[in-house]
Amino acid sequence: MAVRTAHPPDTVAARRPRRVRRRRRVPAAFYAMVLPAFLLFFVFHTVPVLQGVFYSFTNYAGYGEWDFVGLDNYAAMLLDDRIRASYLFTFRFAIVATILVNVLALAIALGLHARIRFRTTLRAVFFLPNVLAVLVVGYIFKYLFGTSLPALGESLGIDALSTSILADPELAWLGVVVLGVWQATAFAVILYLAGLQTIPGDLYEAAAIDGAGRWRQFRSITFPLIAAFFTINMVLSLKNFLMVFDHVVALTEGGPGTSTESVSMVIYRGGFQGGEFAYQTANAVAYFVVIVVVSVLQLRVLRRREVSL
Amino acid sequence: MVLRRTVRAVAGLTLTVLAAGCALTGGPSDGGRTTLDFFQFKPEAIATFDRIIAGFERERPDIRVRQNHVPDAETALRTRLVRDDVPDVLALNGDGDFGELAKAGIFHDFADDPVVDTIDPGVLEIQQALGVRADGEVNGLPFAANANGMLYNRRLFAEHGVAVPTTWAELIAAARTLKAAGVTPFYFTLQEAWTAMPVFNAIAANTAPADFFDRLRADRTTFADGYAETGRRLRQLTELGQPDRFARDYAAGNQAFGRGEVAMYAQGSWTLPPIRDVGPDLDIGVFPIPADTPEATRLVSGVDVTITVGRQTDRRPEALAFARYLLRPEVVAAYAKEQSAVPTLRGSEPTDPVLREVLPWFRQGRVAGFVDHQVPLAVPLAPVTQQYLIDGDLARWLRTLDREWEKVARRR
Repeated sequence: MAVRTAHPPDTVAARRPRRVRRRRRVPAAFYAMVLPAFLLFFVFHTVPVLQGVFYSFTNYAGYGEWDFVGLDNYAAMLLDDRIRASYLFTFRFAIVATILVNVLALAIALGLHARIRFRTTLRAVFFLPNVLAVLVVGYIFKYLFGTSLPALGESLGIDALSTSILADPELAWLGVVVLGVWQATAFAVILYLAGLQTIPGDLYEAAAIDGAGRWRQFRSITFPLIAAFFTINMVLSLKNFLMVFDHVVALTEGGPGTSTESVSMVIYRGGFQGGEFAYQTANAVAYFVVIVVVSVLQLRVLRRREVSL
Repeated sequence: MVLRRTVRAVAGLTLTVLAAGCALTGGPSDGGRTTLDFFQFKPEAIATFDRIIAGFERERPDIRVRQNHVPDAETALRTRLVRDDVPDVLALNGDGDFGELAKAGIFHDFADDPVVDTIDPGVLEIQQALGVRADGEVNGLPFAANANGMLYNRRLFAEHGVAVPTTWAELIAAARTLKAAGVTPFYFTLQEAWTAMPVFNAIAANTAPADFFDRLRADRTTFADGYAETGRRLRQLTELGQPDRFARDYAAGNQAFGRGEVAMYAQGSWTLPPIRDVGPDLDIGVFPIPADTPEATRLVSGVDVTITVGRQTDRRPEALAFARYLLRPEVVAAYAKEQSAVPTLRGSEPTDPVLREVLPWFRQGRVAGFVDHQVPLAVPLAPVTQQYLIDGDLARWLRTLDREWEKVARRR
């Protein structure tokens, strides 16, 4: 019986004309395109990631000998208040910066989408920050915060301005927010502009005939219809801000004290400067998981309120 | 068949490209000449080392030395070590970082090399205390030493009738006199956390118990017990500095002192070249930050540059030849002169007039090493100290140091 039931498919396959099987085959060119990329990606991306996960279970200092320590690194992380403080700073910074970037970018995009004069020039101007390197801009902002603003504050007699906010542990994070928002808004504007172009103009005409004002049009037409762009902007901004590194390096180097140490900064400092490669690799693995979870949750929540025509 | 052949060809091609890429980054020889990778951490000394290398290459035309200097050299070196890529010859700062790498067995053992006997035993001892792979090994050759004290502007001191202080009380009195006369007594550059460390080290050498770190490692003392006075004095000194001390960086400090605007600047001899770039004619003096009595005062000195060779290098004979060349008396002396350093060879003396002022401390052996070299790098000593100088919470500073130390000790 068993032998008999196993036979029929084979015979069917054998009877099938050869031509059909050939046609089903994917042309080799596709493999030729995918394989080199796959190999490069695997060698330069996947292998190092796996290596990192592996090292997070050791006490490797980055050089010399090492032993397996199991989950010790992860356990020690939970008790490390320096790491805790860096998570707090990073999330506070990322949430504030994400909200600011999206509010600003949406406003600018609406303005640039309208039929204003010098529209193309203005669009180019607003895109400029995205082209400049954060490190370079960071040093300019550092000078602004450290020298120009205090000088201005002093000459105007405003006490609150006369000291550098970067020298104040309570306020330094705001300096990082200003730089981050300034730099990231440009890219968000581009995405919103693309979104605005997908909305057909007759919708607005119809709404205007029905007597909807500008605000009502924005609330009921524009915003719902660019929701997909809003989602992607929120997710990308938050993810990018959670990995903030060069902003901090350029402005404060984690200081004053350790008040603006982002998670990436702690990973870099502890791992490469502090000789705790394995420990900070564990931190990096854990943080990777945190970012993935946050992004997926965010995507799910925001997707729910998306609509399409 | 076609598919399989294509796949194989593509895979082969990719691997060839990868291999070629690897070969390009690691290819060390050109036309019979051996190329040495010389990793050097000191941006101020790039031109000086270029001249030294030119001299060596004239003598050994078969060797080419490629000087490799990057900003933030310590981090750059560690990222290379993770890839098992140790430079052939290295010039590194003789600090805690060097000690940790030496303990891990990254460097060559010079113990049997006659060149070791030419080095001043006192300087060698300071370096050996940082750490070696095993007892009896010598993992680096001290090339230049430094003096870490208080630089002062002689003209301003003379103008306001201030004498060089020999006790802590005199130092504070001198600062108050200068301040009353409208002169900024001290310039601090605490936007950069590390610039608190030279002062911290100088004060700690005279106020903290000498065996503190041995006892700390044995779990028999705490920062709260041993470092309260150091912390108090450190803050007392910085409060006499200029108001914007937390918004200024190292470069700003060198400029302010170089232009003769401030009376004192708590930095080491490594700062002399950049200061002289700004104020070539400035009349600079130096004294150790004093203890309560002149007899108890000790000068803090460390190995500014140590020369070493990678333990696993394939080009060992050439690397050792270059290392020995660097340690020749005329090379050491020329470097020390150009970089305002203290030469490290037996019987040699600094030529810099500023450094000759602290020669008595060296001669009498009243020298202490940098205490922060005893602190593992995973403990964020500099930022935590910067934080303390901002908020002035001594108890919290001591508590944080104790907690960080304990955490790192537990992880090791």
